[in-house]
Amino acid sequence: MTSLLERFIPEAKEHLQSAAAGLLKLERDPSESDLVNEVFRSVHTLKGASGLFDIPGLTRLVHAAEDLLGAVRAEQVALDSDMVDLLLIALDHVGNWVDGLASHGKLPDDAEVISTDAARRLRAFLPGDDPAATLPAPEAVNTTPPVWLFALAESDRLEAFRISVSGGGAVQAVAFEPDDGCFYRGEDPVNLIRQIEGLVCLRLARRAGPEELEHVDPFRCALVLRCLAVQPRQEIEHLFRYVLDQVTIATVSPETLIKPEGAPGGGSDYDAFVLDARARLAKRDWPGLRQSAAGLLYSAQEGLWTTSALRWLDASLAAPLPNSDWITRLIDDIAHGREAAPLDTKAQPPAWRILMEQRRIIAMPGDVETLKRRLAGVEAAIVNLLASFGWSVRQGELTAAVAAAETGAYARLDALILALQARVEAAPSAPPAAAKAAPLTAGPASVETPAEQRQPARMLKVDQNKVDILMTLIAELVVSKNSLPFLAKRAEEFYLSREMGREIKEQYSVIDRLTQELQRAIMDVRMVPVSDVFGRFPRLIRDLSRKLQKQIELKVIGEETAADKTIVDALADPLIHLVRNSIDHGIELPDEREGVGKPPAATIQLRAFQEADQVVIEVSDDGRGIDPDVIRAKAVEKGLIAPDQAAALPDQEAIELIFLPGFSTAREISDLSGRGVGMDVVRSAVDKINGRVSLSSHKGEGTLVRLFLPLSMVVTRVMTVEVGGLQFGVPMDGIAETVRVQKRQIRRLKQSEAFVLRNTVVPIRRMHDLLDLEGDLREDDEEAVLVARVGAATVGLVVDRFREGIDVILKPLEGVLAGMRGFSGSALLGDGSVLLVVDLKELI
Amino acid sequence: MPIAIEGDLVRLEGVCPVEDAMPLIEFLRQESSPRLDLSQCTYLHTALWQLLSLGPAKLEAPPSDPFLARWLVPFMAAR
Repeated sequence: MTSLLERFIPEAKEHLQSAAAGLLKLERDPSESDLVNEVFRSVHTLKGASGLFDIPGLTRLVHAAEDLLGAVRAEQVALDSDMVDLLLIALDHVGNWVDGLASHGKLPDDAEVISTDAARRLRAFLPGDDPAATLPAPEAVNTTPPVWLFALAESDRLEAFRISVSGGGAVQAVAFEPDDGCFYRGEDPVNLIRQIEGLVCLRLARRAGPEELEHVDPFRCALVLRCLAVQPRQEIEHLFRYVLDQVTIATVSPETLIKPEGAPGGGSDYDAFVLDARARLAKRDWPGLRQSAAGLLYSAQEGLWTTSALRWLDASLAAPLPNSDWITRLIDDIAHGREAAPLDTKAQPPAWRILMEQRRIIAMPGDVETLKRRLAGVEAAIVNLLASFGWSVRQGELTAAVAAAETGAYARLDALILALQARVEAAPSAPPAAAKAAPLTAGPASVETPAEQRQPARMLKVDQNKVDILMTLIAELVVSKNSLPFLAKRAEEFYLSREMGREIKEQYSVIDRLTQELQRAIMDVRMVPVSDVFGRFPRLIRDLSRKLQKQIELKVIGEETAADKTIVDALADPLIHLVRNSIDHGIELPDEREGVGKPPAATIQLRAFQEADQVVIEVSDDGRGIDPDVIRAKAVEKGLIAPDQAAALPDQEAIELIFLPGFSTAREISDLSGRGVGMDVVRSAVDKINGRVSLSSHKGEGTLVRLFLPLSMVVTRVMTVEVGGLQFGVPMDGIAETVRVQKRQIRRLKQSEAFVLRNTVVPIRRMHDLLDLEGDLREDDEEAVLVARVGAATVGLVVDRFREGIDVILKPLEGVLAGMRGFSGSALLGDGSVLLVVDLKELI
Repeated sequence: MPIAIEGDLVRLEGVCPVEDAMPLIEFLRQESSPRLDLSQCTYLHTALWQLLSLGPAKLEAPPSDPFLARWLVPFMAAR
């Protein structure tokens, strides 16, 4: 497999998972446009990545799904459950194919057929070929002008306006926010924009991030690009077809661009012009009106609002067929000396408004002294604003711009403020400090921003095998570390050097601490959240509830709880089984529920939490619960238990009968849970990872199943015992207690032995019989008995001697030993000897 | 090589790809008052736009390429 494909597979799985999860959420709440985008993005990225490989079947199906989602995103079709069904099925196919790619490096043979069929069915939902139905009229698409439009320099807007009204067509306002890793994909955002033929203006801004050269990653894109272009929307969409999710294109009418700006004033000077203009407007004397406006514009003072309005009037009149509405409005505006409905700047962040105010101040007329004073104020305001954002401008740039402004050249300062406004907009959220007029004392020290705060956590994907190798190595290190105390002892006793022994012990304590930390770290790496498993349930429950026409709400709590990957992986099957059982047997039909006064929609709750060194997973429902009498009858019918025995069982023990192999209460075999496998599968799967299951249920109220699982399987605590002169390990979690029993207290009942421990009869087994070893021949009047719990039963195990409890790294028996029953594995001890760890369940 | 460094002057010529970002940032980090010649540059990767907008480089020779002259120069100046 090529390394590219190796990377594609986990990525594809991730995208599939997030797309499926998004679809399920979306089905509930179709109005969430963020979700549509998210799902679309996942599918879109998947399609893009799949194109790198020769897997046309997969690409075709993903493409069809993408197109359908694209139509949903554009609100051309409404998402319904049938569509979600098909999309999910398509994602399932793709998931299977990705697995196929991983194992065989190619798609299965039937992929082509499946893909064509599924793609056709997906496309059936797309609006027909009727062009009127396919695309809404271009003008209707997203005509709300983006806020950044009015932060553009007036000259830019004017130019776009001129081209547009002289027959160029609609203006497209394009905002392009490439993601920060785009350079790695060979993208070049600026030069993509360069390809827009009708480009009128291009504005760039930086996203928040490190500004100092020392901290900047040159290969991480931090730019936000905005441009105006006069060109058909489709052409621009085509140009951006690979990055459509990062682009917002708004088609704006030329009219929206009309937005005079500048300092208020000069209204009364224009009375004569307004009178004349209105007369010419009535006569539609456009050339005369234009001449009159041009004359006034020639002598008008720069930076005033009215002057700007005149420019717009001039531009409107320059059109081959001037629009009288626009002109009427502009003349009215000039008459009032300001815009009738001022630009809504309230929607902008406070910092933006502060900057806008600075621009207004600069444009105000006044004598040289006043101007100097004002400019000093403007400079201070900008410095403070920069400080509050943690930004900086190039050394001397601000001072130079202010100095230029003092001589009457405002352009540089204005451009600087404009650029800052664009940055404020691009910043994710303005810091609260910027909301107030910052104090005038901000020192240059606060301009520096700590770079480490802005570094997002970087994730590294590693093959699990590599982690496992690391873990094995650490395990071996732990074992060899354990040999140091033996060495110390040997140094003291054999070489008779106490000092040497002490020094070895000192070194040992250091190595011991380090290995413990290593062990903890590697275990931490292997910890994954249970959400990895919980994630599949929304889908399962949705599908099953639709199939069985039951209404089910899923509640998930504590999905961030983490456990060792092996444990979480092993959880999947038993959990699916439990949830299926719940849906199939536990949850009633809506009518039945309403009949007993329950809400029609049932709730299944998945809850995970950590309790001491265990992870507890709960599956609970508010269904009909388990009826102990039904269980008793069923168990008797199946011959699992004698009738009188069944009748004598307390309710709790009766319901636990469902864990017996061969027990199944399903009235009919459905494809859900009644497949001949019962709850015994759950129990054995949980047993296998040293877990435990508990069940509680109240008839009519619901059922709660709890799985208790170890946090980690890496280190097992065992008790070492001596039997027939050999050492064995017994897993600590199976041991209830150790007792010494007088031989005379042991009673023999036919073949078996037993003793009484706190009023309970505990049967006894002798380890040396079980292991086929020579018994201890010592004549002793006491026996060492290990009281162990095997399943629900308690057993006393007679051993020769108790030894210490130790942590070991248990390795399964391999090769010719693999088939040996009665042992769960072996472990290396510090002195180099091998310890066999017994499996009590198999042994007894 | 589209990027040529002579003392405190960096010259970007012709088509400058993303790979030039590394030598350019090294140069900008080292030089206290770097100078920049874009006169022969016809194409500049976005990564380089980004760096030039941060860097303290003085524009010694502006680009003759109209696109760069029109949009890059003001973007650099806005800093």
